[in-house]
Amino acid sequence: MFKKFGIYAVLLVGAFLSVFPYLLVVLTASKSRGQLNATKPWLPAFPPSLGNIERLLGTGFPHFLGNTLVMTAALTAGQLVFTTFAAYAFARMRFRGREALFWLYMATLMVPTAVTVIPLFLIMRQLDLVNTWYGLLVPYLLGTPYGIFLMRQFFRGIPAGLEDAARIDGAGPLTTLWRIILPLSRPALGTLAIITVISSWNNFMWPLIITSGDDTRVITVALSGLKGAVGVDDTLMMAGSLIALIPMVAIFIFFQRYIVRSVVLTGLK
Amino acid sequence: MSRAQVEVAGSEAAPGRTAAPAAPRRRRLTSWYPYLFVAPSLFGVVAFLLLPVLIVAALSFFNWRLLSDPTFTGLDNYRKLVADPSVSHSLGVTVLYVLLCVPLQTVLALCLAVLLNQRVKGVKVFRALFVVPWIATPIVMGLIWDWIFDPVNGAINSALAVVGIQGPEWLSDSTWALPAVALVNIWQHTGYNMLFFLAGLQGIPKELHDAASTDGATSWQRFFTITLPLLNPAMFFVLVTNMIGAFQVFDTVFVMTDGGPSHGTEVFNFKIFATAFREFDFGYASALAVILFVIILAVTLVQVRYFNRRTTYDLS
Repeated sequence: MFKKFGIYAVLLVGAFLSVFPYLLVVLTASKSRGQLNATKPWLPAFPPSLGNIERLLGTGFPHFLGNTLVMTAALTAGQLVFTTFAAYAFARMRFRGREALFWLYMATLMVPTAVTVIPLFLIMRQLDLVNTWYGLLVPYLLGTPYGIFLMRQFFRGIPAGLEDAARIDGAGPLTTLWRIILPLSRPALGTLAIITVISSWNNFMWPLIITSGDDTRVITVALSGLKGAVGVDDTLMMAGSLIALIPMVAIFIFFQRYIVRSVVLTGLK
Repeated sequence: MSRAQVEVAGSEAAPGRTAAPAAPRRRRLTSWYPYLFVAPSLFGVVAFLLLPVLIVAALSFFNWRLLSDPTFTGLDNYRKLVADPSVSHSLGVTVLYVLLCVPLQTVLALCLAVLLNQRVKGVKVFRALFVVPWIATPIVMGLIWDWIFDPVNGAINSALAVVGIQGPEWLSDSTWALPAVALVNIWQHTGYNMLFFLAGLQGIPKELHDAASTDGATSWQRFFTITLPLLNPAMFFVLVTNMIGAFQVFDTVFVMTDGGPSHGTEVFNFKIFATAFREFDFGYASALAVILFVIILAVTLVQVRYFNRRTTYDLS
């Protein structure tokens, strides 16, 4: 009995620490400057003020949020389409050089992003794509080796008999993929989509390097700039953080099981 | 009906003759599909992963500041970085950061997973709450923790003030800045790591523990001789991915300390970034990137070898 109590106590403390920074964002974003100095950081202020959010809406912030949305949508769509094709070929089709190619892909899993950023910038500079949407999106649009690995694992688990049946009925590879494989792969595709949405939304280093103008500025870059530009305006910064976090939290609440499933897809369960 | 058509019709009716020429034609046609399917992603892998690695390796032998043409300088960049105290300092900071983050976020995750595996109520709710930090944008969390660590109004020093302690200036304090930045990483990854351990724990057959208990093993003995070895696949994945990630930390450092105070949090990835995009010394930055790649590769391979020797047992 005492032991159970201890377990719950530890779990509750852990859960509180996990959520606390999120609470603090909401609390701080809804305070005016005067209220910020007058209240303890962990206590709410009455009446809550929407002034910070209004101030942000008057700047380029909504535009930058839109840019992040476009980037996230494009990268996620690209990842889903190209990863599916490649992973299906690696999982289910026979072709010369398949094993060698797959190992090449796996080897690139080991290449840190930090190493490729400089040459990618130079490539984009050579192609005159610095500070353009193409430069921002193209390097990460064609599917990642990690995504291909996840989907290949999943496709290999689908019984081959289904495809054989489709082939005997005269279906080509495209029809088989579209009619047989994809409907069975919704959970895996959902997981891949969620992982990609989160990582695209959170993208920072590459946008920081490749973009400089307002046209292509994404929200993470805008937020990091906000810190330097306004000096110390914590309430405004927390309002910006709140706006950037809300879509992720919403996705998490609705699609939490897909994130948990990413563990299963890596083959560890 | 012409003679030719009759012949075609006739040959179709005779399976022995037509099957042979028709089948290879169809096979050849379908055999293009795999290449077609793989082509876009292969282009991506070659153009945006392999080619950059080659470029960075080549550039590390050049001196190039973008404005003039690159000049070949052989091993000069490498000689320079070996003697460069700011490089060894940055390397030290990075290693310290990794050592602060990875053990803590692994052990804490393991503890949480073990607790959640004790038939407690609300496992799903706790699991969800623990994973919440993982979805946070690192830049945003950097800003939020920057505010939490604020020396005057921040949550931590306000709480310390309540009990009469004057807290340090965290992010501008040379002792505390790096642990403070590391704490954000620990906070962010512990819950997600826990998912992998929990999945691993749930895969361990209960009979093993029962058998060991019957033989008089204490719960600690069972943990170290049964649970931990069987968690090797999860442990391997968590350690490798966490180390690779921690060696490359950038976002939180950029937004919380900008490498300061007095280079106290200048981790290697930040150093590479600053060398390339603030000092525009692309040749030297490339050499630094090669070093980071080699370090990450070496650390990963050591772990692969370690875990390969401690083979996992398939119990299914």
